[in-house]
This record gives sequence, C-alpha cells and structure tokens, in this order.
Amino acid sequence: MTSARDEILGRLHERPVNGEDQLPPPWQSRRQFPDLAARFEEALTAAKGEVKRVADLPAALEEIGRLLSSLDAERVVINGAPAPLDEVTWEERFPGCRWHIAGQSEGALRAFCAEADVGISSADAALAETGSIVVQSGPGRSRLATLLPPVHIALVPGERLTADLFTWVAGRGEAEFPANLVLISGPSKTADIEQTLAIGVHGPKRLIVILYGGKQPHFTIGQ
Amino acid sequence: MSNERVPTGASVAEFRQRAKVAIEDVRLQEALEGATGRFRTARELALAELPGAPALRDHLKEIRAATLAALAGHLERFEANAQAAGAHVHWARDAAEAREIVTEIARTHGVSLATKSKSMATEEIALNEALQAAGVEPVETDLGEWIIQLAEEPPYHIIAPAIHKTRDQVAALFEAEQGAPLPSDDIPVLTEQARRRLRQRFLAAGMGISGGNIAVAETGSVVLVTNEGNGRMVTSLPPVHVAVIGIEKVAPTWEAAAAWLALLARSATGQPLSIYTSVITGPARPEDADGPEEVHIVLLDNGRSRLPGTNYEEVLQCIRCGACVNICPVYREAGGHAYGSPYSGPIGAVISPLLFGLEAYGGLPHASSLCGACLDVCPVRIDLPRMLLDLRADEVETGLTSRPEQMIEGAAAFILDHERLLAAVRGTLSRLQIPVVAEGRLRIPESLNPAGKRQLPALAEKSFHQLWAEGIGDVDPADEPADNHGKR
Repeated sequence: MTSARDEILGRLHERPVNGEDQLPPPWQSRRQFPDLAARFEEALTAAKGEVKRVADLPAALEEIGRLLSSLDAERVVINGAPAPLDEVTWEERFPGCRWHIAGQSEGALRAFCAEADVGISSADAALAETGSIVVQSGPGRSRLATLLPPVHIALVPGERLTADLFTWVAGRGEAEFPANLVLISGPSKTADIEQTLAIGVHGPKRLIVILYGGKQPHFTIGQ
Repeated sequence: MSNERVPTGASVAEFRQRAKVAIEDVRLQEALEGATGRFRTARELALAELPGAPALRDHLKEIRAATLAALAGHLERFEANAQAAGAHVHWARDAAEAREIVTEIARTHGVSLATKSKSMATEEIALNEALQAAGVEPVETDLGEWIIQLAEEPPYHIIAPAIHKTRDQVAALFEAEQGAPLPSDDIPVLTEQARRRLRQRFLAAGMGISGGNIAVAETGSVVLVTNEGNGRMVTSLPPVHVAVIGIEKVAPTWEAAAAWLALLARSATGQPLSIYTSVITGPARPEDADGPEEVHIVLLDNGRSRLPGTNYEEVLQCIRCGACVNICPVYREAGGHAYGSPYSGPIGAVISPLLFGLEAYGGLPHASSLCGACLDVCPVRIDLPRMLLDLRADEVETGLTSRPEQMIEGAAAFILDHERLLAAVRGTLSRLQIPVVAEGRLRIPESLNPAGKRQLPALAEKSFHQLWAEGIGDVDPADEPADNHGKR
C-alpha cells in the first residue's frame, strides 16, 4: 500500500502547478529610517506598547528599578541571556524582589513564571518599522518568562535595531534558528468582542521596552 | 455529541435561506458592516504606509506561483529540515487521516485536555469532534473561537470567528460556562474572565494544537501568527505540540516568508505585523529553559494535490488573510454562516466546493455578483471571479444544475445552433414583446428590479442577420437609439 506521503508527493510530482518554478530575487527593503529608535518607539507605541529611551545601561537599570517599585513587583523572573542580562547581579541590585533567573535559580521555573509579577528579557534584534522585538529560546532563556507574567520588560541595546523584516532576515544570514523565536510587537490584544480593542487577553498586559545606547535620542530624558 | 461544526454544505436554496435570516437581523447587519468596514479601512491605511506595496504584492504572487510549481520538492525539503530539528512530520491524505493522526498522538500520551489556538485547517477537518469522541476535551483559546465553541457554532469569518456575537450574548455564554453570574458585560470584564478561565486550561493541558500560517522549508520551521498570545501558550506550555498545516502553505526561504509576513497582517487586520509571530523549529533543545518535548507537524492534503494542472491551481496561492471576505458585498449581507463551511466569503465560495465537493456546495459559485472586488484586494491577486465562473461551468458540464435550468439551457443552445429556428424565435419574440416595451426598453416587473436601476433593451426591429442581408453599410448609425447597447 502506498503511504500518504508517497501518494501526495507522487501526485504533485506528476502534475505540478503550471508556470515558472524559479523564485524571484529577494525583496530589497525600501525602508530608510533616519532614526531607527524613533521609528521603533512610534510603531510600538501605536500598538499600545511602551518605550523608554535612555542613554546607557546604568540609566536603563535605574529605569528598571523605578518600574519595579511602581509596579510593587514582588516576584520577578528574568532570562539569563543574552547580554546585558548576564552582566548584572540582579538580586544584589534589587534586593526588594524575589528573583528567578532562568537557567540559574533553583526551583520550578514554570510555577514561578505563573505567579510572577514581572518577566524581564532582552532581545536578539529589534525591528524599527513594526516596533517588534525578536526573542529567542535557548540556554537560560525562558519562553514563559515573557508570556505568563502580566508585565514584560525588555532591555534592548539600541545597536540591535534593524529597519524591518527584510533587513532582519538578510542580517541573520545562515544563522541557525532556535527551537522557538518570537517577534513581539506589542502587549497581548484582541478585538474579538464587538471589534473593541482589549489589551491583555492571554499574554502580558504591558510590554515595556527599555532601549539604551546606540544612536542617542534627540531629546533629554527627564529623571 | 454536537455535530454543528462539521461543514454542512450550501445549495442555492440553503444559501438563500440562511442569507435571508442574516439580512433580516438588523443588529447582525450592523455588526457585519462595522467589522468588515474597520478591517477594510485598516488594510488600506496599512498598505498605503508601506513603500512599494503594489510591487511587493506582485513579488509575493511570484513567490507563491514559483513555490507551487515545485511544491513537492519544497515539501520534501521542509520535511527533512523539520525532522533534522527533531520534529515528527506526518502526512494526511484527507480529513479522516488527519483526525486519526492527531487523536493517535493524544492517545499515545494519555492526553485528556488539549488547548487549541485558532486554526482553519482543524476547522476544515472537524478535529474537535474527533478529539471528543476519543475522550480528549479540546478547548479553543482564541477568544473568538472560544466564544463560538461555547455557542456550538462554526466560525463566522476566517480571521474574526465571533464578529456576529454581541457582548451580552458573550456574557451569557461565559456565565453558563462558569455556572455563575458575571459582574457586567463590559468588554474588559469579559476579556479578564477569558484570561482567568483559559489560563487554568493552558497550564493543565497535556497537548497543544495549532495550525500554521507558514511552513518554511529552508529551516523546517512553522510560523504561527496570533494577537492574543494563545498561540504562544499552546506551543510553549504543554509537553506535546501538534501543528496541522495545509500542504500549500510552504515558503521555500526566509526571504519568501518575510514577504509573506509583510503582507499577511496588513491585508488581514491592517496591523504591520500581528502582536506575536512565533517561529517554531522543532521541540525544545536539551539545554532550553522550557518548551515542548515533542513537536508533531501534520501536512494536510485533503483535496489540495488534485488542484495543480486544473483551472483552480491558483487558489493554492491563498495566504488566508480574509481581505476578500471583508470587501465582498455578498458576504457583508449574507454573513458567514450562509456558506455552510468554515471558509466563507469569496475564498470560501471557491475552496469549499473544491475541498468538500461541488455537489454539496453548488450554491456557493452563485453567491457572488462577480464584481471583482476580491481580486482587487487579494494580496496575491488570485482571480476568484474567474474561478467562480469556472465552477458554474463545471456544474453544467457535470449535470449538477437543476432539471428546469438544464432544459432551458439545452433549448437555448439548440436554438442558437440553428439559424433559421433562431430567426423564427426572434421574430415571434419581437412581436410578443410589444405590450411590455416602452421607449425602446422592456419594462421589468418591480419585484425583479427593486431599485429601478436595471435596464433591458427591447429586441431591435431587425436582427443583425437581416441587416447584414440587406447590406449593413446602408444603416446610418445616427438612426440607432443611443442607449441601445445592452447596458446592464
């Protein structure tokens, strides 16, 4: 008996769809943003995300401190990678919170994530056009940390910004894909009831991206 | 067990009957026009903001056509790369085989609860009914899908399944689900209720089931696009993830997938990208912090591989954005349930007969005014109006039309084929028409012409044949009535 695989492929081999089977050359991005960070902020804000632009990592950490205290965050789950997450000793710096560092802390990660107030990650890339951050799985990188807590904070170096999907794909080159990679372009949302926008249906209700370094913002951030 | 969600078919009479119900429901008409109108506006704004959008649409069309021209090879490459990443790849000839594969995976793992993210492929194969029969409780987790699951109805729209439900109807469903009243039917209250109730299910499920928007051959990845985050939950929390994907949804390369993604959400909801674009490449690696232990990909044929080489091969290019549904004047009045299929609107009118049989869906090729709006908005410019006409021709050729229609068509064909008979019939008709002619036009009864806009020119005094025989060059064009040009 022919297997389903052989039968389906056999039929397709026998009778291909008419026409040229050569792919066109890759689409070249037509985006040229004079200020990638400004466009990123504009796009993510339009999708109800929040962007804080600061000068450098110390300023970014101060921003995180302010956020954690304003959120009354007790339990915080954080990814251990990529940089700069591995450059900070979080428990020492913010002793007011209970920390779970993915890949390092003892205890059940999943249960901690389900109860956490805040999840913190970095991003491997960020797309200016759509205000998206690219978050990959891997050692010390929890998928649930950016999914289960009601607030997701992402600490992103400005130099990881790229124009759009096309420049991102071109920039990746032959880099291997991790088991899970997600482009996150805002807080969880739905319009399934009467086409009315509602934020935070399953994933985080707030997405706050702290963008630091890279090209300096044109304005000064107030303290 | 409820059988409500299985594709039910749509004859001309069934379509009319269901459309009538929708048209007479004032609230439903408002909801339909509101929802599709918002989608249309958002789509236009999103494409206007994208530099080179028309050229990008042509580019994606080229990609889709070229991919399908060598589909077998791309599927083989997808399979090899997905397997190399540790995923299990299954092939399903039809709906029954796909259902059997998924229920068998559930059985092997002793699954009693499965969470699902929105998937048209699983609607197409009526997977939920099969899971229930196998003792697995399937829970839809997209808010709209959960609402219609609780209501035991099929989806109303391919990307917005519950657009026909009002907040008070949703509140009633949620109250019945939890067996207790809700504080109000405010949308934030309803959203929070769904978050709370479904969060428990996400954490408890033994298996997650999704569809797949794109299968990227180059890396063996499944791309899943959602806004709510339920797609991420379903593919991250349970130990087993099963994705059911139509075999036509392959992108050979990441460059191709990028073009696809750049147009998918813009054409669908008008978002530049959906909130979450998940790329799943096999199960969690041993060193990963979390993620599923097993990933299964079910490649679903169910009639698709019969389409290459036919008049309908182009329909395989569809990326399921729903833009044609939102623009369609027939869908906007008749509503999604008139189609008797999980796929509604113009794309549904073409693929439902192709996937489920023209016998059961004979009404759908006629559920169109052939205005061509669907072709205008399709991101890959699929000629749906032409295919609707081809389906109508197939109905005639395979003897699926009604007996009276066949007799009328047969008689017309016979008359048109016999010149002298045609002349005699024409002569008779031009005399018979005299009582109903006014100012060179036939008076059409008001019941057939409610808006008074239809015009039907009367038969001319002399036929073309007669004029030709008498020497057509002698006719002064100025003598002809100016509007006698069959204006429809």
